[in-house]
Amino acid sequence: MTQLLLLAVINGLIVGAFYALMAIGLSLIMSLSDVINFAHGGFLAVGAYLAYSMAPYLGFWGGLIVAPILTALLGLLVERFLISRVYGRDPLYSLLLTFGLAFIFEDVTRYIWGAQSLPYQVPGWLMAPLSLDLFFLTGYRVFMIALIVLVVGALFWVMTRTRLGLRIRAGTLDLETVSVLGVNVRVLRNLNFGIGIFLAGLAGVLAAGQLGLTPTIGSSLIMQSFVAIIIGGLGSLTGTLLGGLLIGLAMNVTAVFLPSATEAVIYVMMALVLLVRPQGLLGEEGRF
Amino acid sequence: MTNDGNSVRFDRRTLLKAGAALGALPLAAPFVQVARAADTIKIGVDNPLTGTYAALGKNEATGMAMAVDEINAKGGILGRKVELAIEDSTSGDAGVAVQKARKLIDRDQVSFIIGNINSALAQAIANVANEKGVIHVVPGGHTDSITGQNCHWNVFRVCNTTQTEANAVAGSVIKSAGKKWYYLTPDYAFGHTLQAGMEAAAAKLGGTKVGADLTPLGTTDFSSYLIKAQAANPDAIIILQQGDDGVNVLKQAVQFGLDKKFHLAGAQLELEVLLGLPPEARVGTWVFECYWNQPNVPGLKEFVAETRKRSGGHVPTARTWFGYASIHTCALAAAQANSLDAVKMAKALQGFKLPPEIALMPDGAYYRAGQNQLIPNLYVGHPQAQGKDDPEDLFVVDQVVKGDDVSPTLEETMCKQDWPA
Repeated sequence: MTQLLLLAVINGLIVGAFYALMAIGLSLIMSLSDVINFAHGGFLAVGAYLAYSMAPYLGFWGGLIVAPILTALLGLLVERFLISRVYGRDPLYSLLLTFGLAFIFEDVTRYIWGAQSLPYQVPGWLMAPLSLDLFFLTGYRVFMIALIVLVVGALFWVMTRTRLGLRIRAGTLDLETVSVLGVNVRVLRNLNFGIGIFLAGLAGVLAAGQLGLTPTIGSSLIMQSFVAIIIGGLGSLTGTLLGGLLIGLAMNVTAVFLPSATEAVIYVMMALVLLVRPQGLLGEEGRF
Repeated sequence: MTNDGNSVRFDRRTLLKAGAALGALPLAAPFVQVARAADTIKIGVDNPLTGTYAALGKNEATGMAMAVDEINAKGGILGRKVELAIEDSTSGDAGVAVQKARKLIDRDQVSFIIGNINSALAQAIANVANEKGVIHVVPGGHTDSITGQNCHWNVFRVCNTTQTEANAVAGSVIKSAGKKWYYLTPDYAFGHTLQAGMEAAAAKLGGTKVGADLTPLGTTDFSSYLIKAQAANPDAIIILQQGDDGVNVLKQAVQFGLDKKFHLAGAQLELEVLLGLPPEARVGTWVFECYWNQPNVPGLKEFVAETRKRSGGHVPTARTWFGYASIHTCALAAAQANSLDAVKMAKALQGFKLPPEIALMPDGAYYRAGQNQLIPNLYVGHPQAQGKDDPEDLFVVDQVVKGDDVSPTLEETMCKQDWPA
């Protein structure tokens, strides 16, 4: 049992890191633009499908790099022409807009690539487990974690060490002042949205390596990121990271004792956090 | 909520409401298509077009459309043209499926209702159809109770019961893998009865259960369950997930190398799942309910050719045939009874043998009297990584099983039909 629990903890951190990657993109957009991007799962699916379609020409690695970039470009366009129009209005507008976009993304991917699940293949040498005991540590999953650590690390570096990051963080706290100080808020929000969508696209490609590629791949993963943000606290990327890891852990440890409750447990956690610490574990006081 | 000019800050309540709305995303159904014409006979279809069963739903719809065209080419039902009224039941929301069923029956005045892939939804629709006294054909929801404990005089089923599938495959799994089984079971009606069926079938042959996990429908990451299954050290891991869940669990099990340590097997497997898997994950011992590449089955070649024409070159799956046989069942019932009266039609189908060009089975297929369950052949076999002559020839049939040999007896099904006086 102890061994099983230990394996569940390691595995939970792996799964959680993936949820965190998705949640951080969502959280970035929520914090700066005050838009709950319902279409995040749709962008994730687009990233995965683009990588699938490019694989015959660019291979797995080319797709891994190009697909998220293309997804981010799509994100920039969607932000520029659609989402930016509802800034400053009642949140209902952005909710309805991104909600509608989520449907459109799902149906368009179904129209283009079909409802039938597609087999997305990762390179054979990445597939094998690294050791017999830790058979769930496949090369692919280790690679995935390394990449997530790299990307999230780079993001934190950008946020703390660059002018862009500084402005995004400042904008998260007080957008009006940042605007008055001469920062082009429109461009700032556009770039920030693009970064968030890049992370969604990347998460999509990574997910397709382990899951069947279907039009619903995004919506089947998006709820966990939502919960991760609420648990971690809005406005804090560290909090979101923590939230993602926590729900991964909770789901895996629950699977050891009560497998049918793995889905319910994250909502129980969310409810508890909301009762005890409504702003989330690391969320800013007063913001929420 | 405050408006500071540049932006509107939403509050936590909005975020939570938004989250709740996101959870409800699959409920909203974007696709509605209703045919209306006074002199036509309408068949209501209440089947998934979106969600996890969208691909299966699409294939069933292809078979249904094919059957409608065939029927109309031969003069329709009782001389009237047939039309489909199609609704998206969603893949998992019984409330939506019931609402759509009521709409089809009350507003569209359909003479028959077809659905559903999801067993729980099929059962829910069956209850509505029974209350309204409308003939209901279940194309592809397998849970036992539909033609078992909760059977109705007006509800017919084309696909097999989970117990029949389990009986068909259990012997082969024990022979090729061994007797200690660990179950991974989707946590809803279908999974529960399929596992119970496998346990019962295995027990008769000396098989035992060393563990079982119920996985929520729509699970994407199966690693935690696979770790537990591995720790139990079974002879075979019995994978009962279907659709996208089935693709995900098999893909991950093979990535973890579990197919090299244990035998991966299950009961029902569908071509849709095999097509969604990378070649190395096409492994195990399973049962197919219909397979397109079969010798000596009259009418099958034509059926395959027609399906290819309608689906961009793709071969029919069991789902295509479920849809096809369901619609033909409606037409045959009306023709046999020479009436659209539901009771007369249901009586006409008792023990009714499908014509060979519709049954498409080596030993034919008939509706068992007193249960309304179609008894066809089943195909036990194993997948192959790549098709030899056709990329979609991914299954090798090792044994064609007669439905009569593996179906539970009428008493065992516990079906008691309550016919209207």
